[in-house]
Amino acid sequence: AGQDPPHGWRVAVDCVRANELCAAEPNCSSRYRTLRQCLAGRDRNTMLANKECQAALEVLQESPLYDCRCKRGMKKELQCLQIYWSIHLGLTEGEEFYEASPYEPVTSRLSDIFRLASIFSGMDPATNSKSNHCLDAAKACNLNDNCKRLRSGYISTCSKEISASEHCSRRKCHKALRQFFDRVPSEYTYRLLFCSCKDQACAERRRQTIVPSCSYEDKEKPNCLDLRNTCRTDHLCRSRLADFHTNCQASFQSLTSCPGDNYQACLGSYAGLIGFDMTPNYVDASTTSITISPWCSCKGSGNMEEECEKFLRDFTENPCLRNAIQAFGNGTDVNLSP
Amino acid sequence: AAFGLYFPRKEYFENVYIDQPAGTPLLRIHALRDSHGEVARFHLCQNPISSRARPLENHWFQIREKTGLLYLSKSLDREDFNMLPVGNRMLLSKVKLRVFLSPHPFQEKECDSATCPMCPTIFLSLINATAPACSSLTARQLCFTEMDLSFHIKENKPPGTFHQLQLPSVHHLCQNLSISYKLLAAEGMPFRYNENTTGVSVTQRLDREERERYELIAKCTVREGLREMQVEVPFLVNVLDEDDSPPFLPNGTDTADAVVEFNRKEGTVLATLTVYDADTTPIYPPESRKKYTGTIITDDPWISETFRVEHVFDEIHFSPNGSQVRGTQHEYKLVLNKNISVTEHRSFQLDVLVNDTEFHGPERSVMLHFNVSILPVSIQFPNMTYQFTVNRNAERFAQIGKVCIENCMKFHGVNLTYKLLSPNVSCYPVSILQGQEGKWGSLYVNDSSVLRRPECKEIQYTIQATDKQSRKHTKTLLTIVLEGTLLKKEEDCPNSCAVSKHRAECEECGGLGVLTGRCQWRQGSGKGITTNYSTCTPSIKTCPDGTCDAIENKDPAVCPQDCTSGNVIGGHGKGTGNLGIKSGHGICYCFPRQNCYCEKDDITEQLCDEVCKTVI
Repeated sequence: AGQDPPHGWRVAVDCVRANELCAAEPNCSSRYRTLRQCLAGRDRNTMLANKECQAALEVLQESPLYDCRCKRGMKKELQCLQIYWSIHLGLTEGEEFYEASPYEPVTSRLSDIFRLASIFSGMDPATNSKSNHCLDAAKACNLNDNCKRLRSGYISTCSKEISASEHCSRRKCHKALRQFFDRVPSEYTYRLLFCSCKDQACAERRRQTIVPSCSYEDKEKPNCLDLRNTCRTDHLCRSRLADFHTNCQASFQSLTSCPGDNYQACLGSYAGLIGFDMTPNYVDASTTSITISPWCSCKGSGNMEEECEKFLRDFTENPCLRNAIQAFGNGTDVNLSP
Repeated sequence: AAFGLYFPRKEYFENVYIDQPAGTPLLRIHALRDSHGEVARFHLCQNPISSRARPLENHWFQIREKTGLLYLSKSLDREDFNMLPVGNRMLLSKVKLRVFLSPHPFQEKECDSATCPMCPTIFLSLINATAPACSSLTARQLCFTEMDLSFHIKENKPPGTFHQLQLPSVHHLCQNLSISYKLLAAEGMPFRYNENTTGVSVTQRLDREERERYELIAKCTVREGLREMQVEVPFLVNVLDEDDSPPFLPNGTDTADAVVEFNRKEGTVLATLTVYDADTTPIYPPESRKKYTGTIITDDPWISETFRVEHVFDEIHFSPNGSQVRGTQHEYKLVLNKNISVTEHRSFQLDVLVNDTEFHGPERSVMLHFNVSILPVSIQFPNMTYQFTVNRNAERFAQIGKVCIENCMKFHGVNLTYKLLSPNVSCYPVSILQGQEGKWGSLYVNDSSVLRRPECKEIQYTIQATDKQSRKHTKTLLTIVLEGTLLKKEEDCPNSCAVSKHRAECEECGGLGVLTGRCQWRQGSGKGITTNYSTCTPSIKTCPDGTCDAIENKDPAVCPQDCTSGNVIGGHGKGTGNLGIKSGHGICYCFPRQNCYCEKDDITEQLCDEVCKTVI
């Protein structure tokens, strides 16, 4: 209940397609061109002070561009997101704490992958107590050509020393990680990322999955709000963060603490952050408690410390994210009555 | 005075149900004053915005201008629910309203977060059901909403009421219930709870530098006939900072010595002085980082060109009376802005003015003093002549030794050129190359045929070292003595030592870079992939040592173990910059300009197994 779209709502098209539809219509296309000029290099307030800009925005709210969305890993994903934000940056009220995701909602459920994980976790009861699920996940990846190729691709890129002062090329490492998580099916990537562990060696392997010395750690820990700001200047990072907030925001209304009890959506948007400024990871190799965080702290937040802590808690103390990771590791999805 | 009313919260939450009657109170907003005499007037922006949808004219919600009470002006029926911008993505349908304060007639265009960054947002969750019966609500739901009771109050502002514990909607709906509140742990704290209004007020001006966080507990008791239920939730107050403290010096230290001697390189930190401030300095937004400035006070263009001040700050903690509060440590570093010539010689005092730009008081700045002494350094060789002995069997690129002026290893930012002035005889077997950063010169054999000539025995050179910047130079004498008898050259030996993969073939051959005509074998520890792998090298001292030096770099056959950029086959780890073999498994050998191989050498033992032995 409550999930059916209300009457009169258009079915969302992707923004690249919406842009084509708009381009075919002279009024829409000229207004869209105006809006893009308005937004170029100017902030929202100076933009809205301009009558022409405001009029363009009002017209475009009636166009297919207004409701358009993008798909993760789609062709022309960046172009799609650029179109999305060109409209929505003008609409949002400046700096919002949570932004709505520009991605289409994840409707598929994890059931299949969960079943797979549960088969593996229950494979051999005799050795089960000793088994290392993270090692099994690496073996499974190596048996798949695509997974093996892209995994060794990012590992060699992320561990290549450039010079004595430059430990690795973070930019290239992030790019290789994004390729891995975009192009390898989630049954392989999730098993590597969210494997359950009973000992420290396994948990350390899980922590090392994304080669954190290159992709995650840095000389200094920036302030989380500053990092969020950096992320928001990049359309892809901004979208992935908004997607994470939409799908992993802890909710009191559901059994699992996840929006719509959808673990798959939360795990997907978590994996979608890897390879960006906001790359999250396990903070240690603890087997008993799972703590996730981006590489930032709330030191130096001044009067915005509360806001900073709130932002950081969505990673470090998020029951939805923690439940989703644990449920995947144990192979126990929620049973939703049909 | 500027209009300075502000809100103690950024967000408010409440539920709205279908068919709730017009006039139902929803929640109350409070505003706090900046100065006495200000009156708050609350306004609602006309466009409620849902999580995602087009703005819609608001017909349903209104706020009382004087009290800040938000209420339903029109009952929401099912049709309204369908019309309201209810996102089809978010499972929760939320309407977002913005509240504004203004002292004058309100203008709709003020409805922008940029004009009122502290103005709160109200999130109303639209619940697709009729309001629940009082009896079905838990004590938690009757007493508090889902939002945490967390508030912020500015320091140095007049007291006032900032929250009402009673929920207007519940009070309206469940009038037969007795719901009472208490604020625990409030004794001795500057807060008061008024039982009649259920309002919580701050009773005095707060000082963040005294205490920045108050943790209290709100306790609620619900009585229904004989039944009594109690709920406790945390009640937090954060004190917001303003710049009300001047900078001060730890231990009164405002002076530091800055000596420039051997390290004359641009970017060198000469000295650091620290300034404290009890106020916080936020890193975000970036503009706030410019709150503190540090300027070199000088009329001398040479000083302003040669030095710069770098400012870094970090959050530290002060404990004024047991409780921890955040403050800032500012560090001012005096840094060389360019390389300084070795001939420069002066001393002076350099003053840096530190300014807390947001503090409005007389002591907003402090002066820091750096006692700068720039000492000249002399470019001269030690009081001796160099003498090196070279074996007549040495090959091209054999490393003979290093020459270096006095203190050369301490130099930074001084670029020296070492040159050999040719002797008056026809024997010139030796050349020189610059070492790292131009600190020293490396002598090596450039023409090995000269070494073999009997008439060349002792060769005298003059070495000259020149400082590139000042053109200052110095000279000394170098004697090369040739010794040893010529060995017979083995047939079929490779050009490079690195090609040999066995000790025997290594030690009976020569190769580029050898000192005595024979390659040297390095026996590794043989445990896994190690930096101490077995290999054949022209000189164990220089190869492999993990760096591809200037001489090794001249020819890939000299030391591919340090210099190869090609493939390495077998278990190994690459060196810095992807050059050379840092660690390897077993024996590592290389074919120059081609691949290197690292492998365990167990073939020798297998050459003759049990079967073989019986045959023999």
